[in-house]
Amino acid sequence: MHVVIINGSPRIQKYSNTEKIIASFTDGLSEKGASFETHAISNRKSWETIQKAYIENEEILIALPLYVECVPGLLLEFLETLPKKDEHTRISFLLQSGFAEGCQLRCGEEFLAKLPGYLGVRYGGCLVKGNNFGIRILDEEKQRQVTKPYQAMGRLFADGDGFFRVEAKKFTGPETFPLPLRLMMQFIFKTFAKKMFQKAAASWGCTVPLDEKIWETNSSCRE
Amino acid sequence: MILMIDTTRKHIGTQIAEELLHNGKNPAEFELIDTTGMNISHCAGCNYCWLKTPGICTIKDDYAPILKKINQADQVWLISDTHFGFVSYQTKNIVDRVMPLVTMHLKFKDGQMRHVMRYDHQPNIGIIYTGDGDQAYLEHWCQRTTLNLGSHSLGVFPSKYRKEAISCML
Repeated sequence: MHVVIINGSPRIQKYSNTEKIIASFTDGLSEKGASFETHAISNRKSWETIQKAYIENEEILIALPLYVECVPGLLLEFLETLPKKDEHTRISFLLQSGFAEGCQLRCGEEFLAKLPGYLGVRYGGCLVKGNNFGIRILDEEKQRQVTKPYQAMGRLFADGDGFFRVEAKKFTGPETFPLPLRLMMQFIFKTFAKKMFQKAAASWGCTVPLDEKIWETNSSCRE
Repeated sequence: MILMIDTTRKHIGTQIAEELLHNGKNPAEFELIDTTGMNISHCAGCNYCWLKTPGICTIKDDYAPILKKINQADQVWLISDTHFGFVSYQTKNIVDRVMPLVTMHLKFKDGQMRHVMRYDHQPNIGIIYTGDGDQAYLEHWCQRTTLNLGSHSLGVFPSKYRKEAISCML
């Protein structure tokens, strides 16, 4: 099996969470002897190369972050440039998001499930998982740790059944968290998480509160 | 205040604006933005509007004044062509870039994990589309999107049924 993997994130590759996930996923592919090539649409200069890879190969995997309940605008633009192919080609998807609960990604998954039909190709399923917002701000070792589960999904994918197996479905985790966990998270959001985000922002050079209303107050972050 | 953002190739927003006037709508109560010829980038996911310059997009293009109007509007109507049954990438870019109106902070509300909105006022959003849109999916998407933005969907209308959308604006 040779898999053409397209990183559909608009974020530059160096800071792309999706890119880190792909790295772990491909470790799993390699373990099973599958070969792969990776591309990223964030650099428009590579679009021609990616279109060519899409046309010439039959096993396509598009990995993407959820942007406002669906595909990021840039990926939508790229998809509009793809020619129609036939059912010999299969597209599978790896959909990830910041929100942790599975229910947050279903609207995006619904679109992706129908997309191959518009392109004339087969659907290989969609691997769905949230809770990935923080990857970018972790050090390399931690990044490897949190993306490690994707390696097993790479091994699974190499078996050839796309993401239709029960292991892939289970990978999402809970659709919604149980109430006690939600209450605990609510508490964390209001306390530790707030502090942690503000700290991360400070390291990026931000000096104002993250909930600053720029159109009603003065602030040093203002243009 | 009603804001219409038209990204269609046939500029159908102009017709809708005329029909609004014809129905007695005060021209001071709505605005049409035709994005033809405008430079509006996609969201690059840099997170600066959440973590570095909260509320301010780092991309300097023609979007900034549009965002300010979205923030002030009571109704935002996305007038869009369709591809893959969904809105065009031009319209999706306009929606993706509302992130400065959202903060990094999270909360649970109405059974959903949500971002805390930056401002108190949230616009309701509706869609008027040309072409072969997937009506059921567009409705679902508009509902989900507005749920996350703390507002409501105004509905999704194929352009041939735009009279129904117009009645929501009067």
